Amino acid sequence: MSQRVVLTGNQAIARGFWEGGGSVAASYPGSPTVEILETLKEYKEVYSHWALNEKIALEIAIGGSLAGGRSLVSMKHVGLNIALDPFMTFTQIKTNGGFVLVVGDDPGLSSSQNEQDTRALARFAKVALLEPSTAQEAKDFVAAALHMSEEYHTPVIIRLTSNLCHSRGVVELHERIESTGQGFVKDQARYNMLPPYANAQQHFMRERLLRLAELGETSPLNRYEPREGSACLVITSALPYCYLKELNAPVSIMKLGLSYPLPLSRLKAIAANYRQVLVLEELMPHMESELQAAGLGVYGKEYFPFTGELTSDEIRIGLARAGVPVEASPSALDPISTPLRTPILCAGCPHRPVFDVLREAKVDVIGDIGCYSLGILEPFEVLNTVISMGASLGMIQGVAKAHRHAGISRPLVATIGDGTFFHSGLSGFADLAKTTENITVIVLDNHTTAMTGGQDTLTTRSYLKDDSRYGMSIMEVLKSFGIKDIQEIDQFHVVKTKRVLAEALERDGLSVIIATRPCALNFKVKNPHFFVDPKVCIGCRRCVKVNCPPISMLMYEGQQKKQSFIDPAHCVGCSVCSQVCPVKAIKSSATLKGQEVQP
Amino acid sequence: MSVTSIMIAGVGGQGLVLLTRVLAQVALAAGYDVKSGDVVGLAQRGGMVWGSVRYGEKVHSPLIPRGQGDFMIAMEALEGLRFAHMLKPSAKVFLSKYRILPNRVLIEKDEYPANIPLLLGERGLVVVEIDAEQMAVDLGNRRLSNTLLLGALSVELPFSKDHWEDALRENVPPKTLDLNLLAFAAGRNTEAQTCATT
Repeated sequence: MSQRVVLTGNQAIARGFWEGGGSVAASYPGSPTVEILETLKEYKEVYSHWALNEKIALEIAIGGSLAGGRSLVSMKHVGLNIALDPFMTFTQIKTNGGFVLVVGDDPGLSSSQNEQDTRALARFAKVALLEPSTAQEAKDFVAAALHMSEEYHTPVIIRLTSNLCHSRGVVELHERIESTGQGFVKDQARYNMLPPYANAQQHFMRERLLRLAELGETSPLNRYEPREGSACLVITSALPYCYLKELNAPVSIMKLGLSYPLPLSRLKAIAANYRQVLVLEELMPHMESELQAAGLGVYGKEYFPFTGELTSDEIRIGLARAGVPVEASPSALDPISTPLRTPILCAGCPHRPVFDVLREAKVDVIGDIGCYSLGILEPFEVLNTVISMGASLGMIQGVAKAHRHAGISRPLVATIGDGTFFHSGLSGFADLAKTTENITVIVLDNHTTAMTGGQDTLTTRSYLKDDSRYGMSIMEVLKSFGIKDIQEIDQFHVVKTKRVLAEALERDGLSVIIATRPCALNFKVKNPHFFVDPKVCIGCRRCVKVNCPPISMLMYEGQQKKQSFIDPAHCVGCSVCSQVCPVKAIKSSATLKGQEVQP
Repeated sequence: MSVTSIMIAGVGGQGLVLLTRVLAQVALAAGYDVKSGDVVGLAQRGGMVWGSVRYGEKVHSPLIPRGQGDFMIAMEALEGLRFAHMLKPSAKVFLSKYRILPNRVLIEKDEYPANIPLLLGERGLVVVEIDAEQMAVDLGNRRLSNTLLLGALSVELPFSKDHWEDALRENVPPKTLDLNLLAFAAGRNTEAQTCATT
C-alpha cells in the first residue's frame, strides 16, 4: 500500500533511508541538511546520532557500513572538509553495507561561509555522485544509492542544494524493507589501508569508476527527453532541470541523475544529433569541463551564472544569449526599493552584552562560527574575522606571532561558542594552552547549538540540570589542559563583565572567560519586560546601541525629540539595556508590582 | 496547463514554514500536483524569509518566476513591499499591518516605508490589508495571525473547508486547534468585509 504526502527534500532523504532498511545514521547540524537527521530520529528502526563534528559522524557511518549495516551520513558542504580525511581513505575500501554521504551545498551562501561545489569531490574521491531534482527523486535516489554502494562497493554521494533541501514536493511512500548485515567480518586486506593493501586498491577504484560509468550509460537515473525539431540539447541535473522545464524552452534535455561518472558514450551519441549542446549547472562547470575534456563542443558558463542559485529567469536570459528562441519573459514589475533586513541577535540573546563590552574595549577580535558570527554586522562590528569552525584559536596565535615580529604589542581576543568548542575547539585550545602572548578567549557557552535550531551540546545538561543527559564542563576540560586563568561570568552583569575583560586584557598568557548565560530563544527565557520612562530618557541612544529587536526610537506624544521605546510584546527582560542607560530611564515592569529584579 | 502561484513573505521566526506546509498539504488533498519552496537560511535570527506554494495539474519548479505570482501573503508589511515584483501586475496581496523594524531602521540608518498599501496599490496590485496581529491577540494568541491570513486567502482558492481543517489539524498543536479554526474563520470573514467596504 502506498500513500502520497508532501515532504521536503530533507524529509524525503530520511524517508528513503528508512524505507531502504537503513540502520545507522549520523550527522553534525548545519544548514541546509539539519532536518535529515531530525527526521530520522522519528524512525525508531534507525539509530540516529548527532555527532560532535562531521568527521566523527562520517566515521560512525563507516563503522556501520563495515559491520554490514546500511549507513547514512549527512552534512553541509563545508562539513565535508572536516570529514574529508577519513572519506578519502575509506573510499579505497570495498564498502560492505550500503554507504550514502548526503551533502547539502549552498549556492548563493544563504547560510554558509563559502560556496564550494561538492561535485568536485566525487572526482577527487573516485566515487559515484547522484543529484536528485525533486523530493520524490531525493527519496528514490537513496534506495538507488544504497544498492549501488553494495553492488559496486563504493561510497555514494547524494548532492543536494539549499533549495532542494527545503522545498516540498509530492512523494509516494512505501513500507520499509528490512536489511540486516552479518556484522563485522575480519578481512585484513580489505579493511587495513596501509601498504601493501592500499596499493592494490588504486586499481580497484579505477575499475570501479569504469563500471559505474558503464552503469550510467543505461541507467534510468539518466533520462533523455528529446523534443521534436529542436537543434539544441541541454545537458543538466538537479534543480536547474526543474527551472528549465518551467520555461518550456524549445530544447531537448538530457537529465543526469548519476552525474559522476558521466555516461560519455551515450552523451556523445545523443549530442551528435544536435547543432548546439549547452550544459546547465549551478556553481562550477563540473559537467561542462568533463565533457570538453572528452572532446565534446559544449558551452555552459559562457551563458549561465557561475555563482548563486540559478533561477528560471536567468536560464531564460542565458538561453536567449545562446541563440535559443525562448519566449520573452512576461512583463514584470521592477523591485520596489526597500530597506535591507539583515539578521539580528534575538531579544535577550546572551551574546549582546559581550559584544557591547568588546566594542567598548576596542580590541581586535578573532571570531568563529555560530550565532555570534552576527557580531560582524552593524552596529556592533566587533568580530573582525570569520573563517571556519574552530579557526579562531589557531589564527589568534598566528596574529600574535606576526605582531611580535612587527614589534606590535596589543592584547587579542577570540570568541568561540560551546558547540564550536566541542566540534573543533578542543585541539585548538590544547595547542594554545602554553602561549605566553596576551590572548583572551571568550567561550560563549549558551548551552545549545543555537544557529541550527537548538540541538544539544555537551553543556546542555549543566543548564537543564538533567542528569539523564551526558555532559561536560568546559571549565573542567580546560583545567585539564593545564590552563590556570579561567573565569566563569554571568554576562548579564554588564559592569562586572567589562571589568573581567579589562583585567584579562592586562595579563600576558592565555586568559579564558566563560560566559554562561543560556540561549534565550532555545530555552524560551522570559522575564517581566522592561520599559522606558520618557520623563527620564534623554534620547542619547545608548540603549539602541545594544541593538535589541524591541528597542527603537519613537516620538512620544507631547515630546520635542525622539526617545527610546521598548516593545513590551517582544522584550524578554534580560535587563542589559537598563544597565547601560546613563540616566536609569529603563525599568522593569516587575518593579511596578513591587518585585525585586535580578538580572 | 495552468499553475497557481502563492508567494509568502515574512521575517524569520514568524512561522512561515508552517504556512507553506499547510498550503502544500491542502493542495495535495484537493488532488493537485504541488511544490513549495522556503528560503530560510539564517531565518531564525530575524532576517527576511520567503516561501512559495505552487499547485496545478503539473508543477515543475518550486520557485515562482519573477512576475508570475497570483497571490501573496505578507506576514509583515515591509516584506510584502520587498517581494511585490514577484507578482503578476494584477495579483492580490493579503497584507498584514504588522511591522517588524529591520535592524537598519532600529539604528536609524533607514526609514521604515510609510503607506505600504498605497505603494502596492499604485502598482496595480489588489491589496487586502488585515490587522492580523491585533485580531489574533484579541482571539487570545498572537501566533494565530498566520492562520488568520490563511483564512483570508482561502476565499480565493478552490479548496474545501474539510481540506483546510484537515491540514490545520495536522499542523497545529492539538490544544490550539479550536482557536486556529476560529482564527481561520475570522480570516475568511475579514476578506468578505474588506471587499464589501471597498
